[in-house]
Amino acid sequence: MSFAFHRPGSLDAAIAVASEHGEAARFLAGGTDLMIQINRGRAAPKHLISLAGLGLDTIGESEGEHVIGALATLDAVVTHPAFQTGLVALTQASAVVGGRQVRNIATVGGNIVNASPAADLVPVLLALEATVDLRGPAGTRSMPLDRFLVGRGRTERRPDEILTAVRFDKPPAASATWFLKAGRRKAMEISVICVAAHLVRGGKARIAIGAAAARTVRVPAAEALAEKEGAAAFREAGRIAADAVSPIDDVRASARYRKLLVATLVERALAACADRLGKDGR
Amino acid sequence: MTRQPLALTINGEIHDVMIEPHWSLLHVLRHELGLTGTKENCLEAECGVCTVLLDGKAVNSCILLAEQARGRSIVTIEGLGDPEHLHPLQAAFIEHGAVQCGYCIPGMILSAKSFLDERPGRVPSEAEVREALSGTLCRCTGYQKIVDAVIAAARQMSARPEAARRAP
Repeated sequence: MSFAFHRPGSLDAAIAVASEHGEAARFLAGGTDLMIQINRGRAAPKHLISLAGLGLDTIGESEGEHVIGALATLDAVVTHPAFQTGLVALTQASAVVGGRQVRNIATVGGNIVNASPAADLVPVLLALEATVDLRGPAGTRSMPLDRFLVGRGRTERRPDEILTAVRFDKPPAASATWFLKAGRRKAMEISVICVAAHLVRGGKARIAIGAAAARTVRVPAAEALAEKEGAAAFREAGRIAADAVSPIDDVRASARYRKLLVATLVERALAACADRLGKDGR
Repeated sequence: MTRQPLALTINGEIHDVMIEPHWSLLHVLRHELGLTGTKENCLEAECGVCTVLLDGKAVNSCILLAEQARGRSIVTIEGLGDPEHLHPLQAAFIEHGAVQCGYCIPGMILSAKSFLDERPGRVPSEAEVREALSGTLCRCTGYQKIVDAVIAAARQMSARPEAARRAP
């Protein structure tokens, strides 16, 4: 197990190295997942291309949207002032990835491109209808995160493309987000089910679910119901969401238990959003 | 694979080492530099015994490439005081009997230092300390005395910040 380590001075130089080596090269952000894959023998890149120091770690905003650089750490999301009220689901999800030692290194981009069905931040970004920015030899392109995610460990990213940022519209003032996760214990645990909800006063709901299918999914039928708001609608949305997903049996939980969790967590996440909207008088 | 030169800043001193690109920071600390205060166990960022500070923040050195520490500042337990000048966390761990076998303690103390340094002057709640230490496992103590020690150290550090500042 060894590889050449590249520390390119620009994004274009990083892309050039990746183009030259194709599937034998991997980009390195925090490495908290990739290094474990390498140590277990599940990945054996011949070239690691560091993305550190290329300016991808900023979290910023323009008039209409928030932009999170792919190399922003999960800790940076947890502590970011813009993500503590209406966008608190970003903080809630980032705060339950690994322990603090992992969150100080692990990146937002890594959580997305690994395309783990259980990635905690991804349902929140899907519920916010986020877009990903990719940069490759032919220039840049953007696409909805919902299209970018293909399946377990699979995305639309080409081997020589760098995910540079994820962006989403600023939600209106009268809106709320919430994230809930069920694991076998409170900390340091891969999600058995995770759920993100985004509720906008006046008739828009978004619901995304992790660890319930081969990729993180939105559940439009449940969203349509949740838009009616109210306890009964939220309960029914949970039931419909549970019907819509196709979880697996594995060492962490049975498929049947996962469906029960989906129904309960979707209902609770929607209720929490409504509660926040009520409390803030929005 | 040919070795590459790497200058690492550890506990305020620059160490020039020749590394293979796939070596973890943990490997370099223990096997190249003899800094064995940093412990080795799960090698998958689950247990936290390998915790060091990277630019002041706790990280798992087992899954961090030494290359990723290039140009950054590393603090290990060896950099945190000595028997005559204990860091307040070290003193509090002794005073509270927070150490049994001791294997997790370097990681525990550095995890706690990273956490307390993020909030100078504040004494955290027990729940906050437990959350902050959740990435660092102890199989001996049941954690209560460790949590007590961290809170006591936080009180001491907010009352006498100079005692904590002496260490890197």
